[in-house]
Amino acid sequence: MINLPKKPPPSLMVFAGIPTAVLFSYYCFFKVGFNLTDFKENLENRYLVTDPLFNPKWSWAIENASEALVETIQIAILASVVGCFVALPLSFYASQTTNQNKISYFLYKSFLNLVRTIPDLFWAMMFTVAVGLGPFAGVLALVMFSLAIMGKLLSETIDSIDPGPLEAAKSSGASHNQSVFTSALPQVLPNFTAYFLYIFELCIRASVILGLVGAGGVGRIIETQRIFLRFDRISPIIVLILLVVILIEQFSVWLRRRIL
Amino acid sequence: MIKFENVGVVYPGGVKALDNINLEINEGDFVIIVGLSGAGKSTLLRSINNLVKPTDGNVFVDGKNVTNASKKELKQIRSDIGMIFQTFNLVNRSNVLKNVLTGRLSQVSTIRSITGLWPKEDKQIAFESLERVEILEKAYVRGSNLSGGQQQRVGIARALAQKPTVMLADEPVASLDPVTSRVVMSYLKKINQELGITTIVNLHFLDLAKEFGTRLIGLREGNLVYDGSVDDVSDADFENIYGRSIKSSDLIGEDD
Amino acid sequence: MPKQPVQQRILKYTITALIVIGSIWSASGLEITLEKILKAPEQIAILVGAMFPLDLSSEAIERILPKVAESLFIAWAGTVIGAVFSFPISFLAANNVAANYISETTKQILNGIRAFPELILAFVFLPITGLGALTGTLAIGIHSIGTLGKLSSEVIEGIDEGPLEAIKSSGGSKINELLFGVVPQVMPTITSYWLYRFEINLRASAVLGVVGAGGVGAELINQLRFRDFPRAGTVLVATVVLVLTVDTISAAIRRRIIKGRSIKV
Repeated sequence: MINLPKKPPPSLMVFAGIPTAVLFSYYCFFKVGFNLTDFKENLENRYLVTDPLFNPKWSWAIENASEALVETIQIAILASVVGCFVALPLSFYASQTTNQNKISYFLYKSFLNLVRTIPDLFWAMMFTVAVGLGPFAGVLALVMFSLAIMGKLLSETIDSIDPGPLEAAKSSGASHNQSVFTSALPQVLPNFTAYFLYIFELCIRASVILGLVGAGGVGRIIETQRIFLRFDRISPIIVLILLVVILIEQFSVWLRRRIL
Repeated sequence: MIKFENVGVVYPGGVKALDNINLEINEGDFVIIVGLSGAGKSTLLRSINNLVKPTDGNVFVDGKNVTNASKKELKQIRSDIGMIFQTFNLVNRSNVLKNVLTGRLSQVSTIRSITGLWPKEDKQIAFESLERVEILEKAYVRGSNLSGGQQQRVGIARALAQKPTVMLADEPVASLDPVTSRVVMSYLKKINQELGITTIVNLHFLDLAKEFGTRLIGLREGNLVYDGSVDDVSDADFENIYGRSIKSSDLIGEDD
Repeated sequence: MPKQPVQQRILKYTITALIVIGSIWSASGLEITLEKILKAPEQIAILVGAMFPLDLSSEAIERILPKVAESLFIAWAGTVIGAVFSFPISFLAANNVAANYISETTKQILNGIRAFPELILAFVFLPITGLGALTGTLAIGIHSIGTLGKLSSEVIEGIDEGPLEAIKSSGGSKINELLFGVVPQVMPTITSYWLYRFEINLRASAVLGVVGAGGVGAELINQLRFRDFPRAGTVLVATVVLVLTVDTISAAIRRRIIKGRSIKV
């Protein structure tokens, strides 16, 4: 008989984790009110939505929503530009590669993490109270949104760059800021550009919704039309936004190819 | 045992990989195939279990026509043919035992294999195969945590778990150092001698071929240019197979 | 002194110009004046100040905690829907598993689903499933199927085909190849994507409350409308705590999944 090696005990994560996850899921579905019979009944109402949805009223949309659509895009542009460029220096402080001061690193990193935890619409709600209804609040909200995402992405990129050139610059007597500017920044610029385009696209999608809380853009119109179930007016608006998003996606793919 | 009848393989794009191969391999033979890269060694090997389907001719294994076998027959034939690969082809995230058990898949019902409730006999076969390549103690170690030589031994164990009558080895030691290569080759030789499994190995190291082989087959540009005992092979024969004089890269050498 | 290639410089200048012009056009279009910008920090400080001290009365907690929990349930249930359905679909969308015309079509369908933000999906479901957590769950669930489906299919397309060949050569069936060759390779990455999606869905579910699709968003907007700032502050803090906790646990689990367990022999 051969000597069988000892079988390792089953992983705690799998043994305890999976049953917990399954039980928790059941609980969640229950709490959420998931009920197959009710659901089937509800589905019979779908014509309330699908009928107008697939009957888009383009002329109405173009007449009444164009201005708001432009506003939506403007909010996205401004917010992503400001948010991303403010995040640029912050990211360097939030990475241990370029910030050796443990306390300051911790503060900046925590700040970015904190900003990340608050959803964009929550920011919008707060800003509408602080600076009033309208697109300014929306821009501020999406600035926080962009800042948070760029901060996380960029600081993680900076974490993994080659520290060599940085050390070389410092050892030649350059100040800390000079070294970072000349040796660390160029390494991450391509990533920055890619992230910026990505965030810009996210901002366009996000700014569609801002209007729901009065922070400008086309969301306001969508909300009013939705209450009257005018999905025939909403669908062309959504389609127009999607077209813009697709255009930007194509542009960014083209641009990335030229740059990299 | 294995018979090639006018076998030809033309890949889409027009590349002629094998040209009118006629070959007979007897049960229990230990055959080594040498030739340049692109000479057709890999194609020849893969036409035995129909991973590559010949465009002309037929391959017979144990009297059965592999080339024109139905799906069901093919699975049956393949389950009797074990294969090991240059890149080992282990599932890196799975442990050694799971990898070896995949050799038993053709014999085990789907439900049993998914749930991990492998029949005792199959597990026993897996353990015995691991024992034969002396790596049983690593049964629960993850594939990626093993060295190259160890991974190849697991590959051999996996093939052995099939209880095959034929063993195909496609450049099994190309990624290994000289010492480990000899270890792997000696396992293959031992299995051939102790279990009588017909073994066919692709190699491009000529000294290894001479060291371990009994029968040597040389391929050049898809053609069979040498078939004889390893003892009768001369340097001139090698140069004929390779179409050029022997270089140092054709020899694995001793370890540094 | 050598100059940067002309084409590259033109590109850089054009892009910078685009960004600057775009920003100025946007700022003026939105009537954002310097005055507004300068006044903003003060206004924000006033708001934040009004939120403290937080309303931690039992009444507030009784109202807010269940809603926060509801956001958690919605996010989890939605992610489960996303994971369960996206998994088989991702195989159909992978061009190394499914035939090209199937994978292309599936990918396009997934792109279509992904395009709609969760909130818009919630709109669509509201008239059908009514106000409440179920609508939010469905919206998040369906959007997740889209994103997870695409990401998972990319993981599947990136696997090492070698082990599949080994299984095939030993007489295994296509199902064997999938279960023993593909699945072990892709599960760690795909599972970590599920967890990451859960983190994102948690934020989405907090927001969905604004349109009445369940969760804490409705609370926040109500408190703000009624100018009950301390209570609004509590809602915010509760949300932040929940999201931070979930993020940390999820990140730890994800790291462990990718790293795997090491056995010493």
